[in-house]
Amino acid sequence: MSASARPARFRLLEPVMLLWVALVAALLVLVAAPLVKMLLISFEMQDTGEFTFENYLTAYGRQRYIDALRNSLMLGALSAAISTVIAVPMAWAVSRTDMPGKGFTWAMVLAAFIMPPYLGAIGWILLAGPNSGWINVTWRALTGATDPLVNVYTFTGMAFVIALHSFPLVFIFVKSALDLISSEMEDAANILGGGTWTTMRRVTLPLVWPSILGGFILIFLETIALFGTPAIIGIPARINVVTTQLWQFFEDPVRVEVAAAYAIPLLLITVAMIGVQKLLLSRKGFVSQTGKGGERRQVKLGPWRWVLFGWCLLVGLLAVIKPLTVLLQASFAKAWGRGFSLDNLTLRNYRFLLFEHDVAPQATWNTVWFSAASATMAIVLALLVAYIVVRRLMRFADVLGFIAMAPFVIPGIVMAIGFYAAYAGPPLSLYGSALLIILAFTARFLPIAYANSQAAIRAVHPEMEEAARILGSGRLHAILRITAPLLKTSLLGGWLVVFIVASRELSAAIFLVGPRTRTMSVLLYDLSEQGNFEVVSAFGGILLVITMVIVGIGMKLVGRDFMLRRE
Amino acid sequence: MFLIDRRQMLALAAWSAAASKAYAQAPMHPQERELYEAAKREGEITWYTGQYSADASEAAGRAFNERYPGVRCNVVRSTSQVAFQRLSQDFRAGVGQCDVFSSTNGGHYIQLKRQNRLVRFRPVNADGLLPILRTPDPDNFFQSSFLGIYLMGHNTNLVSEAEAPKSWTDVLDPKWKDKLAVGHPGFSGAIGLWALQMRTMFGPDYLRRFERNKPQVGRSSIDPVTMMTAGERSVGVAVPSASTLFAASRGNPLKLIYPTEGVIAALSPSAIPTNAPHPNAAKLFQEFQTGPALSTAVRLLFNESIRPDVPPPEGSRPLDQVTMLAPTLEQAERGVPEVREQWREIFGV
Repeated sequence: MSASARPARFRLLEPVMLLWVALVAALLVLVAAPLVKMLLISFEMQDTGEFTFENYLTAYGRQRYIDALRNSLMLGALSAAISTVIAVPMAWAVSRTDMPGKGFTWAMVLAAFIMPPYLGAIGWILLAGPNSGWINVTWRALTGATDPLVNVYTFTGMAFVIALHSFPLVFIFVKSALDLISSEMEDAANILGGGTWTTMRRVTLPLVWPSILGGFILIFLETIALFGTPAIIGIPARINVVTTQLWQFFEDPVRVEVAAAYAIPLLLITVAMIGVQKLLLSRKGFVSQTGKGGERRQVKLGPWRWVLFGWCLLVGLLAVIKPLTVLLQASFAKAWGRGFSLDNLTLRNYRFLLFEHDVAPQATWNTVWFSAASATMAIVLALLVAYIVVRRLMRFADVLGFIAMAPFVIPGIVMAIGFYAAYAGPPLSLYGSALLIILAFTARFLPIAYANSQAAIRAVHPEMEEAARILGSGRLHAILRITAPLLKTSLLGGWLVVFIVASRELSAAIFLVGPRTRTMSVLLYDLSEQGNFEVVSAFGGILLVITMVIVGIGMKLVGRDFMLRRE
Repeated sequence: MFLIDRRQMLALAAWSAAASKAYAQAPMHPQERELYEAAKREGEITWYTGQYSADASEAAGRAFNERYPGVRCNVVRSTSQVAFQRLSQDFRAGVGQCDVFSSTNGGHYIQLKRQNRLVRFRPVNADGLLPILRTPDPDNFFQSSFLGIYLMGHNTNLVSEAEAPKSWTDVLDPKWKDKLAVGHPGFSGAIGLWALQMRTMFGPDYLRRFERNKPQVGRSSIDPVTMMTAGERSVGVAVPSASTLFAASRGNPLKLIYPTEGVIAALSPSAIPTNAPHPNAAKLFQEFQTGPALSTAVRLLFNESIRPDVPPPEGSRPLDQVTMLAPTLEQAERGVPEVREQWREIFGV
């Protein structure tokens, strides 16, 4: 290379090009490499690395393993269906009607979202254990019946408990879509003779059908990736699912290859679902924003508004108030089975965790800083990618956007196994390190951050930046001084959402943590193995308080509906 | 089966808590002191354990920290099979994180020893253990650290002592349908030993008939204690005596049942993996576990003392009055994975 050629070449290299390369590298490390590595090892012999189909035969060679897959798919579908039934009326009521208690409903949705699913599962064991659950004890006392009213240790019981902590996602999706529909469409239906219900059924809901379907698919994917609830409820209920089965492949001898082979079909199922979604939505119009203004009025429901409020109240009771009450009782109890009485009260469980437990304080700190670090990384990465994609700064920019969204359709547990396969062992040997967990969380929640950033950047018209650039500002300077301040609020909202979901994450963490990097969710899982629900509840209480403090600060800064800003 | 003679028992009973405390603070012998100096430079030791309950493990960790200031014990408590799974994952990833590994499933040690994954080390304190615990491995790749008694228990409000099952085969009676609780051999090492022992004594059909009574399956062997306390189930099968006595001491209506055939005794070792990041601290921890300080700490939470010079816990039957059943370590190595697989076929999870 001659000395004079160099500067000429560098002149072609715009800074944004370097950024592009850096982003591609980051996305490769975070998303592509783990998946490719997993695909590769699923065809490798454990010791020799030779090509083989053996892993697939082992992974699907037993009825029990196939049953686990079937159970997961059914569980995902059922939980998603229950979530939809719970959430759609709530979203409609809050968005479009004069139902009272909207603030309360919002608070319940937020609380159900913050509460980790495994904590809800423990709450529901205390509520709906067939013999000892409060609901059944009360039921028997009132009616004299011998059979339990509800049993959490069943397939439907488990699906129901999962749905109670997943429905907020459908709620958020559907409500934000409903918020965009102007009343004119409903008015048209009314003029043609349709009543409130007909209009809702035939006009309003079909318009938000893509959001409902999107929420359904997301919950389906989240459910098949869940590990905590199936371990806590599924094992006593004798229901084996994909995640608990994958866990078994990690028993000695560790068979990552078989686990990978077992997980690959999940990806195919996901791809198929996205395909079905495309098919269902094709050749139909869902345009609700015409740009012609249009006002949004609340539908007057008359007495029916109390029925809807009753529904929201019921959901709030089941998802938040009841489980939280029993968890709180257990956390202050010597023995939760002995109920509410003064001589049963103790601070021992909290004292044990805060002052006597070796790693509980450290796990708490780990959770906070892992979640904060991955939320920050995800938002920064997502913002840069979204900026390039939205402003069309590069050719092939869309590819970046696609990779950033890809983890959305990858079940979290598959992601975790990919990370284990790619980075746990040599040459990097990151197993058990904080870095590995932060990277995995970042990758897992990148799509949330990306969707958020993309929406935020779209909302800022390029004219403002252009004005600055005409006045002599560089691009970076313009971004820093003009765009970033405009985006601050919505980015903080996105950061909060990622922080919350990362702080409750278990299924990826469980495969990657080491002794010094355990998070609260992993420690809660370890503690729950002994069925020591008093201490588990106390630890859950501490986790909730921490999350609530951070959400509280966030709401002060961003406003109450920060969860909605991602659309 | 092993026996302590009466004279020894009486001598044990004479010990007071104050004497135990003195033992916990006993001066270090030369090997221990030397290891302590070396361990201080390493600063910490990470302990993967499934032997003592979470409370007792934390108590043991604190007792270690008190006795050896400057060396911190990181307690990583889970069920034994999960602890072994984590250790296997460490080896597979080539990352050494565990200094001392403690499992209720003795078979793990036979396997690790054969794979050349254990450090040969004999703590001086091991000479003071109960006679049957003194030499679990003639080659000194692992040392005893735990004697767990697994038996049955019942909620006295739900089942009277007269009605309660008396033997391991009593629980096969259909009248116990939906009333039993048990741990899981895929998680708990002790439940693996129990299932193996039942299969050996009563034939392969035992688990199948047991399953017909629809026991509630938890993960840890301690889980059924919670289920009994809550009144969810009335009889716990293969529960640890320590956790049951501990729960009873907190005012719960629980009582132990000593099955007529005998109790399951987990005589379990601890070992140092070859990739231990703090080898001297690990050796020091082995001295600690075999010495009086560990037994003194855990007996307060109703665990058996593993040394004759530390008295047994209150409320449990003296060891010389119970028959102890246990598979050998070699039987456990091969048998527990087999019986675990059989269990999964029968129970579905």
